[in-house]
Amino acid sequence: MAPTIAIDTAQIREKALADLLAILEGVRGKKTLVIDQSLSGPIGLFAKFSVLQDYGVDKVHWLHDAPGDIAQKNILYLARCTPKNAHLIASQVKYYGKIPDQDVDCSAFFVPRRTLVCEKILEEEGVVGDITIGEYPLYFVPLEADLLSLELEHSFQELYLHKDYTSIFYAAKALMGIQQKHGLFPRILGKGDNVRRLVDALLRMRSEVTVDDALNSFALTPSSTIENLIIIDRETDFVTPLLTQLTYEGLIDEMYGIKNSKIEIDASLVGNPQQNAPAGSSSTSATSLPPQSGKKRTVVLDSSDKLYEDLRDTNFAIVGNLLNKVSRRLQADYEGRHQAKTVTEIKQFVSKLGGLQAEHQSVRMHTGLAEEIMNHTRSDLFNKSLEVQQNLAAGSDAPTQHENIEELIYRGASIEQVLRLLCIESCVGAGLRPKDFEFFKREILQAYGYHHILTLDALEKMQLLQQRTSVQTAANARTSYSSLRKLLRLIVDEVNEHDPDDISYVYSGYAPLSVRLVQCVIQKQYLQMTAKGGKGVGGAPDVNVVGAGSTGWKGFEEALRNVKGKTVDEVQRGEDKAVRARMILNGQNEKKMTIVFFLGGCTYTEIAALRFIGKQQEGKRKILICTTSIINGSKMIQSALVN
Amino acid sequence: MASATAPTADWEAVSDTFYRKIQLYTALWDADFNLNDYFLRGAPYGGALALWKDDSKPQPYRGPLSKPSIELYSSAGRLIRKIAWDKGSIKGLGWSEDEKLLVVTQDGMVRCYYDLQGDFTQFSLGNGAEEYGVKECRFWGVGFVALLGNNKLVAVSRYDEPRPRQLADPGLGEEGEIHSWALIPPNYTLSRHVEVLIATGATILVVDASETQDQVLQQGPFSHIAVSPNGKYVGLYTAEGKVWVISSDFQDNLSEYDTGMGNNLPIDMQWCGNSSVVLVWEDEVHMVGPGGVALRYYYDSRVHLVSEIDGVRLITTDCCEFLQKVPGMHLWGPAVGVYEIQTENVDVTESIFRIGSTSPASVLVDAIDQLEQCSPKADDNIQLIRPQLAEAVDACVKAAGQEFNVHWQKQLLKAASFGKSVLELYSSDEFVEMCEVLRVLNAVRYYEVGLPITYEQFLRLTPEKLIQRLLNRQHHQLAVKISEYLRLPTEKIYIHWACMKVRVSTDDEDTICRAVVAKLNGKHGISFQEIARTAYDEGRGRLATQLLNYEPRAALQVPLLLNMEEDEIALDKAIESGDTDLVSYVLLNLKKKHPLTNFFRIINNRPVASSLIESSAREQDRELLKDMYYQDDRRVDGALVILRESMEQEELSAKLEKLKLASKVLGDLKEHALESKTIDESSRLLQLQEVYEKDLPQKFLGLSLNETILDLIRLGYNSRASKLKSEFKVPEKRYWWLRLRGLVAKRDWGEIEEWSKQKKSPIGWEPFFNECLAARNSKVAALFVPKCTHLPAADRMDLWVKCGMLAKAGEEALKVRDLNALEKLRQRAKVQSEIGELDRMIAQVKPK
Repeated sequence: MAPTIAIDTAQIREKALADLLAILEGVRGKKTLVIDQSLSGPIGLFAKFSVLQDYGVDKVHWLHDAPGDIAQKNILYLARCTPKNAHLIASQVKYYGKIPDQDVDCSAFFVPRRTLVCEKILEEEGVVGDITIGEYPLYFVPLEADLLSLELEHSFQELYLHKDYTSIFYAAKALMGIQQKHGLFPRILGKGDNVRRLVDALLRMRSEVTVDDALNSFALTPSSTIENLIIIDRETDFVTPLLTQLTYEGLIDEMYGIKNSKIEIDASLVGNPQQNAPAGSSSTSATSLPPQSGKKRTVVLDSSDKLYEDLRDTNFAIVGNLLNKVSRRLQADYEGRHQAKTVTEIKQFVSKLGGLQAEHQSVRMHTGLAEEIMNHTRSDLFNKSLEVQQNLAAGSDAPTQHENIEELIYRGASIEQVLRLLCIESCVGAGLRPKDFEFFKREILQAYGYHHILTLDALEKMQLLQQRTSVQTAANARTSYSSLRKLLRLIVDEVNEHDPDDISYVYSGYAPLSVRLVQCVIQKQYLQMTAKGGKGVGGAPDVNVVGAGSTGWKGFEEALRNVKGKTVDEVQRGEDKAVRARMILNGQNEKKMTIVFFLGGCTYTEIAALRFIGKQQEGKRKILICTTSIINGSKMIQSALVN
Repeated sequence: MASATAPTADWEAVSDTFYRKIQLYTALWDADFNLNDYFLRGAPYGGALALWKDDSKPQPYRGPLSKPSIELYSSAGRLIRKIAWDKGSIKGLGWSEDEKLLVVTQDGMVRCYYDLQGDFTQFSLGNGAEEYGVKECRFWGVGFVALLGNNKLVAVSRYDEPRPRQLADPGLGEEGEIHSWALIPPNYTLSRHVEVLIATGATILVVDASETQDQVLQQGPFSHIAVSPNGKYVGLYTAEGKVWVISSDFQDNLSEYDTGMGNNLPIDMQWCGNSSVVLVWEDEVHMVGPGGVALRYYYDSRVHLVSEIDGVRLITTDCCEFLQKVPGMHLWGPAVGVYEIQTENVDVTESIFRIGSTSPASVLVDAIDQLEQCSPKADDNIQLIRPQLAEAVDACVKAAGQEFNVHWQKQLLKAASFGKSVLELYSSDEFVEMCEVLRVLNAVRYYEVGLPITYEQFLRLTPEKLIQRLLNRQHHQLAVKISEYLRLPTEKIYIHWACMKVRVSTDDEDTICRAVVAKLNGKHGISFQEIARTAYDEGRGRLATQLLNYEPRAALQVPLLLNMEEDEIALDKAIESGDTDLVSYVLLNLKKKHPLTNFFRIINNRPVASSLIESSAREQDRELLKDMYYQDDRRVDGALVILRESMEQEELSAKLEKLKLASKVLGDLKEHALESKTIDESSRLLQLQEVYEKDLPQKFLGLSLNETILDLIRLGYNSRASKLKSEFKVPEKRYWWLRLRGLVAKRDWGEIEEWSKQKKSPIGWEPFFNECLAARNSKVAALFVPKCTHLPAADRMDLWVKCGMLAKAGEEALKVRDLNALEKLRQRAKVQSEIGELDRMIAQVKPK
């Protein structure tokens, strides 16, 4: 136990890989791996197929495929612990058991844990005797050095539509894992009813760990490297993800849908696959995804591509410029060969050449991508819906936007696009007027099909799209954007996209409420100044940064009252002696870490905004972003959509 | 122990090494107890002995009350427990390394007695065991292999989740004769799976999970096979009465020894450590050391062998002895014996140290003798070995650990202590640790405890497991003392104590509860759940409930509560734990147990539970979902389920049926009249689409209303489209849009031109322009520019430009006299006529 070590996401990645390989090693000899498709993406982020092959994996099948010829005697199942998967495994094991003259040895590893329900299902299906059951505790998957995701694809739907709190429990487990390794979060702050549930689970787990591991109580003293944990329930701020993201990465996500840091794009954009050095060769071959037929190619978008790292969080408006600059610099670098006169100089140039080519490749791909996105953003439909979004967010009278929304429907815009707008209107304005609500209901059903009665019902249950009720419901029942707009200055009119001074640049004028809430804790002064209308001085950091964490939400009680759900503020203390000992061990002036956890998912724009804050506070604070999954408006709507 | 017989008194040389036989305990049983009548199996690490009667021998009749039993004794002969046995013939009995007793019956039933108190779990071997019967079993640390009547082998490699599986068929058929067999534990084989050696005919077969390999030997038949504890060597007893030791991969021939017993086969053959093989005939024991040299011992009665990792226990009615190779390399000094453990830097060879040894360690031990006699020679000795003093101290500390005799332990430790007092820098950690361990070892070796464990075994077993063994023997007091002494957690001991208390105490429940709580209160990490479960298993339900309330972990209370039929409390605790899996598990159980209405009543006011049921039912059990909604009077949700079902129907008639039903349910609810009406609409649309599909060459079913209208217009069925419009009350605006898009898709420009002659459009004329332009017909698009009268001139100018009509654009600019715009247009103009036109206009506007 080394409680003083700061969190290192690379370690989490290594641990995940080591655990996986240990499982593979546990089954001797060649084996067939049957994997739950939803796991292949996350696992592919840290385990290359070639490594799996080294550990005896001969072939990979999808769990949802019908069982077929299996060449190997050993079959290893790796699946999320859902009842559905347990049934699938049971039926496959039974199928193999019936094949005469074939002796198979099945083992099933459930992710992230073996559950009583899965065991019971296997038992009821009568295959418990034929299968070795284990677990693979994969919780956080590091997407980047500062970004951990549970990659629970359906967490949004489960939490808000089905009210199934499994992901809260897993989130608590994952956070508990961090606490056990790095010490308690000295202060846990959060907003939202689900946050209350999560924090309760965390506190309970803490007391249970003390019971389980009485001797090791030192482990559970407050961490000296982590200052606080801020948890944001997605429910507190549905509007942010519903708006169209305007950063480069955000727009890529809106257009192509980034999945486990990967996108599929037209092969022509990538160019020669052999030279696809920065993004591709490092990790595309990671999973066993069968090569896609046709001209699609999978590209990994992460910080191993330096250019992408620079571009991803900028507003799309300046991406073109940046790309221009880079390509001009590249041009100059290539020109450098003419200056190379002596043999040594030529040698130097040649040694740089590989890097230049890789960069060139990357510039080409991003230029291609940017062009495609540009075509999209110039389209009439996109601009119309963006205009509506921005007007609604800024609080202009909703009915004036209705004509535009209507037109979008008539012109055959996608149902996601239309519902996103209506949901924004409903969330910002406490529901649609009954007359409008009924009108749009009818329009949507007739335009997109009557089965969407179910979709609308789901959206209503998630409180995304509602009818305005005259009855004033309990306090904190919904987020009041109209009050918050002023209290937290959500709308910033002058946005400098080139050299942003406020997080609002990610939506070209709207500052994500969720991130503003984080600022309430870690950038109090800046936010207070901004909210009073005075311009935050070029991202001036707080004077009393060190003390900021110890005051929790202080100063923003009024704003919090206008946000939906319970407010959480828990201080975790350890025994004084141990705390002091740890302080002495570490010294106090260390750079502290704030962990921001998005329960229910976050968007790339929010990540960009938090990184922006992190840069402002560089040297004083590090921000680690954690989330249940990465979402966007379309994914939110899709979780309700009936096909 | 007063006397100080020389520690080498029980040593005997075998070629160039020494063996010693230590008497551990005497008078194990009364003289009239005839060990000959019993089978005996001992647990490793000085563990318990299990005895059971040999059925094949005649027994004195002891009246009808004597029941067959398995008797468990400590190595000192103290009865631990008698386990009544009424399951018939025992075909295999053995121990696991954590002292679980395994008993296998003829029909393949396996009982695993996990403590020494007779509690057991049970499983069946299957794989044909019932049919053919079990012949014999061989055990290793964590598993065993059973030989069946049909000469097939079944292996079990763990007891917590046993999964018996058949090994490869040795291919002997049912008649093949197996002379003897043994196994190599998985951790010592290359394949990491258990391997079985079978002596049949003159050869040996090696069988593992996948194949059988014949080693093609000629020396057989082998009546005994024994595998050394480290799995490296195999001892074989050949037909000529020889002991033949080979490596377990059958590559190297290591030694051969002629017992001279001819046809008199030994009863048992076991390894003594990894260096020698021990054979037993009724009352004669041969120990065959390396190089084929043997020691012989003679006894008065039958001797039983219990193999250990570093020696062998010899058990007779009147004593328990331990035979081992003297640990490490050893040396024999002039005054005392000190054996030195082999360390890397000490070049120890027997020839130097044997007689007249002046090894530093032995000199050091001599020094302590001198010291006790107050002789100055003590210091001389020290000076003599000064340069190697540290080594000598180390050696003495280690040698102390090997000694069973307390006197010599003390003597060696004293020597070490004396030696290190002279040294300036010496870390005493090992010394201190050894003192602690020896105290513990001596305590457990005491005859009332009867765990004759060696230092090596202790290290291998680990202190935690030693404590567990003490608990199995009910030595709670000693276990707590040792745990505290070795700074180990004690909570398990308290829990174990409490469980025992709950089991055996005759006090009333309140008193027990008070006693237990008083003892355990304030101690960290106590799992009351375990105690409560014991209480429940003992039938003390109320006590169990009382105790369970002290359990801090909600999740752990749940399974027991379920067992106790405290269903609702179990559900609440599961919800409290936040673990949805646990909640689902409880719900699964409850659903099976309770009638549906009752089940719904239970989950009704627990939202977490009902959402879980709802989402699992949505995926797996629609009917349950409908029942649930019905029960809760959630009629809208119920209707929506029916609606979902209708979507999944293939047949149109079935679809319509379901829709009708859904609409009816909703229709009864006033506030959902709209939905009901919409569903009716959708039925109507489906019916119409079916008609269209019959008439028209196009698929319609499944399209939305708008799509249907659009397609009808595109295909030119305007009247049908407008019929739909009126039937479904499509607003004028939408209809215009659909018609526009349909006509453009149809490229019916004539119709559009006709249409442009209308005076007013509910959607304005811009869409016409845009749609036509998007379809690349700028000519038609241009028709609509003049109609966009509400737009400012500048915008209209743009529209003209988009159509490529710069002159028209110029006219707009001229109207507002915008010189700037005109000049820009002029620059863009390419066609001569346009240039002229624009120049003319510029001239008009330009101030003179």
